[in-house]
Amino acid sequence: MDKVFIIIPAYNESAAITSVIKDIRAASKEWQTVVVDDGSSDRTAELAETAGAVVLRHLVNRGQGAALKTGTEYAIIKGAEVVVHFDADGQFSAVDIPAVIAPLTAGEAQVVFGSRFLSAPGGKKSNIPWFKKHVILGLARLINKIFLGVSLSDPQTGCRAFSKEAAVKLNWQQDKMAHCSEIMRLAVKNNLRVREVPITVVYHSFGQHFSGGVKILEEFFLGIFTK
Amino acid sequence: MSLQQIIGLAIIIFFLARVLSQKRKNQLNAAEFNFWLAFWLIAGAAVALLKQIDRSLAQLGFSASGINFLLYLSVAVLFYFIFRLRLQLAKMEGEITKIVKKIALGDKPADKK
Repeated sequence: MDKVFIIIPAYNESAAITSVIKDIRAASKEWQTVVVDDGSSDRTAELAETAGAVVLRHLVNRGQGAALKTGTEYAIIKGAEVVVHFDADGQFSAVDIPAVIAPLTAGEAQVVFGSRFLSAPGGKKSNIPWFKKHVILGLARLINKIFLGVSLSDPQTGCRAFSKEAAVKLNWQQDKMAHCSEIMRLAVKNNLRVREVPITVVYHSFGQHFSGGVKILEEFFLGIFTK
Repeated sequence: MSLQQIIGLAIIIFFLARVLSQKRKNQLNAAEFNFWLAFWLIAGAAVALLKQIDRSLAQLGFSASGINFLLYLSVAVLFYFIFRLRLQLAKMEGEITKIVKKIALGDKPADKK
């Protein structure tokens, strides 16, 4: 198995972080789990370390995009062959990771996005709230297609994997939530081979609201002028 | 010149005097002084030439009066300044992230399995 690094950005995730890391370690002992504690005020870093993860610490909260960037750069420095982005809130399932990295190790793709909208034969469906599924993510998909030239079924997935080369090329600058769309746009712009695979997301809360989508658009717009 | 224009010019002269006084006390640097001096001089010229602005707008086919035009213009300028400020903040945020990342990676803990 290639050297796989699982990057988990975490901000005040003490309730879920231990089980997330344990699930990942149960799925494979070969993977290196890296938690980027993004300025948490709770015991996230301590619990992650106890659960067996390497912990990188942001002194102050910089956002999910920034935490993923720190973790990805760490993985590149440490010689990762495959870099996986994974959420800390327990909504993703570690058993999906082998399917996400399989197209990379098989050389069929350089970037793989997990999609809540695809379903594997016999697999469980994600319980996405109706408004989020049909309105928020529907609009996001349309915006991605029109403005970014990205045609993927899941416009805001947080579960993705890169080959080493792709991880180096995908130099995203968005620190907050707009990094999802930016990574997709960069993958298309860099002509990387992209694949989507089905994943199951279990919703414990609604997550990103409509206002979050508007904020992402604002971040993206400002990002155009700050390069 | 109308009474409103005289009042407007008096206010502008007050602020111009304040800018000059702040400069004398070294409370403004050269760039700030130049900016505020130009700002209040342009505002004074716009108030003094309100009737000419009225005529120019009418010649261009606009129905709005000069004072309305100045109001619209000032709102647009304010929006521009807020946008510039927001960009400046975004750039600073990016710089902070670079520092935070460097410190985080500086620790470089050993690999764990």
